[in-house]
Amino acid sequence: MEQKNTTFKRYFKLYRLLIGQFLKAIMQSKVDFFMGLFGFFFSQVMGIAFLYLVFQQIPTLDGWTFDQLIFIYGFAQIPRGIDHLLTDNIWMIAWRIVIKGEFDRYMLRPMNLFFQVIAEKLQPDALGELLVGSILIILSISKGIVIIDIWHVVLFLISIIAGALIYTSIKLFFASFAFWIKISGPFLQVAYDMAEFAKYPTEIYTKIIRFLITWVIPFAFVAYLPASYFLKADVSATVIGIECIIAILFWCISYAFFNKGTSIYESSGN
Amino acid sequence: MRRKLKIYLPFTSNELKRQLSYKGAFYLFMLISLFGSFISYYLWMAIYGNSESGVLGGFSKNEMIIYVFMVYVTSSIVTVSIADWISDDVVMGTVSMNLIKPMDYRISLIFRALGSMLYRFLAPGVFIWIGIEVYKVKVLGMDFPNILSILLFILSCIMSFLIYVLFDFCFGMISFFTTHIFGMLLVKEALLSFLTGQLIPISFFPESLQHVFDYLPFSSMVYTPVMIYLGKYTGETLCYMLLRQCIWVIILYLLGSLIWRKVTKRLIVLGG
Repeated sequence: MEQKNTTFKRYFKLYRLLIGQFLKAIMQSKVDFFMGLFGFFFSQVMGIAFLYLVFQQIPTLDGWTFDQLIFIYGFAQIPRGIDHLLTDNIWMIAWRIVIKGEFDRYMLRPMNLFFQVIAEKLQPDALGELLVGSILIILSISKGIVIIDIWHVVLFLISIIAGALIYTSIKLFFASFAFWIKISGPFLQVAYDMAEFAKYPTEIYTKIIRFLITWVIPFAFVAYLPASYFLKADVSATVIGIECIIAILFWCISYAFFNKGTSIYESSGN
Repeated sequence: MRRKLKIYLPFTSNELKRQLSYKGAFYLFMLISLFGSFISYYLWMAIYGNSESGVLGGFSKNEMIIYVFMVYVTSSIVTVSIADWISDDVVMGTVSMNLIKPMDYRISLIFRALGSMLYRFLAPGVFIWIGIEVYKVKVLGMDFPNILSILLFILSCIMSFLIYVLFDFCFGMISFFTTHIFGMLLVKEALLSFLTGQLIPISFFPESLQHVFDYLPFSSMVYTPVMIYLGKYTGETLCYMLLRQCIWVIILYLLGSLIWRKVTKRLIVLGG
């Protein structure tokens, strides 16, 4: 127990140090940071404007109102943003780190490999997602369409953490292919962009797509399904339970796959 | 004229070759952008299912299906983002090389964009287009468009391409003033996808906004050719729309020359 505790402390301290270094680098390019943030924020606003124009034509979409869709839209951004902020460096495995042989330096250090990968970078662009998500959720709460009681608040927090874990797992899984095929970026991009489907109620899609985004690349469990629990009283809390199970299951698979990949990693020379 | 072509055509063929060598990644990216079309498709199907009238914003359900996918084909061909290249050239410093060569930087960019456009037209564009046509006739039971409207569509697309590229040239000039163009590019993409009618037909916008759009070049970039293809513009309106595209090509060309002259002057000062 004592042993475990000190390991945790050591990693925590290391994380702080590494991120501290990274933040210094960010501060040097503040304009870039704000431009990126603004650009991102703006593209989200366009997505909402689109929904607004559509709802000028119809009262509800398969039983969902404009306000409810805004909540789903906003809710989807939070787990996405958390994952984006903390684990953005996974993309670099898919695109660059493996093929350039830069993975060597992780292998040389006596630390957990996954920890080293994510500790190298924080992605401040993600604040755009978190900002848009928070604004939309607060707006929805102020309109009184979100169910608020102690259970829902607790499950809300659990749900966004599980959602972020699902994102991380999917990213890690597709990025790990790079250990075999050297560059897996395009595949990761395809998988990641499947999340776009989950911004709307999945009932609108045909069965195959619905199955795909619910059980194969389970983005529906990050956005639409848990969000519906917070909007409709008749949706049972089991949906959050299933979300957690999926998150843990996918994480175990991805992490095992990542470990398998690192075990066969051969440097391309650095 | 022939000498000019001899100078600039290699830009086109090089770009074509370059694109051909990255086929794999290219198809995957095309697949990703098709996701967007499918999401719109299902979303619109649900929207029409929930609406009492069969016509929204002047579009019947079948027309909307064609619209969604033709917008995809048109915009994938037309929107060649040369601002990215300009920004690369400026950041890497290779733009100075382009300045000392006896050629026009903008024309070389346009010819390079032409290579990109041709590739996108040949690779997925035309096949998806045929796919849409087959679907339209077999499943939706609509007629083939006549030869004339196809020719007008292609003519309109060529002008759309010029409008987009010339606009993007002006936009790319920002990279001479700031190196932080990444965020700007995001804003541009978002704004254009909305204003060109890629996300939603312009007829869905409130009347007053539509009047404002009449004085902006964006609807001429994607919306006009697709509307021509759908046969929404006829007779006088059709001529007016094509004329408007023509005028935008001229205005943006002149504007580009003006900005370029100012920018290169500034560069000379810095270089001295």
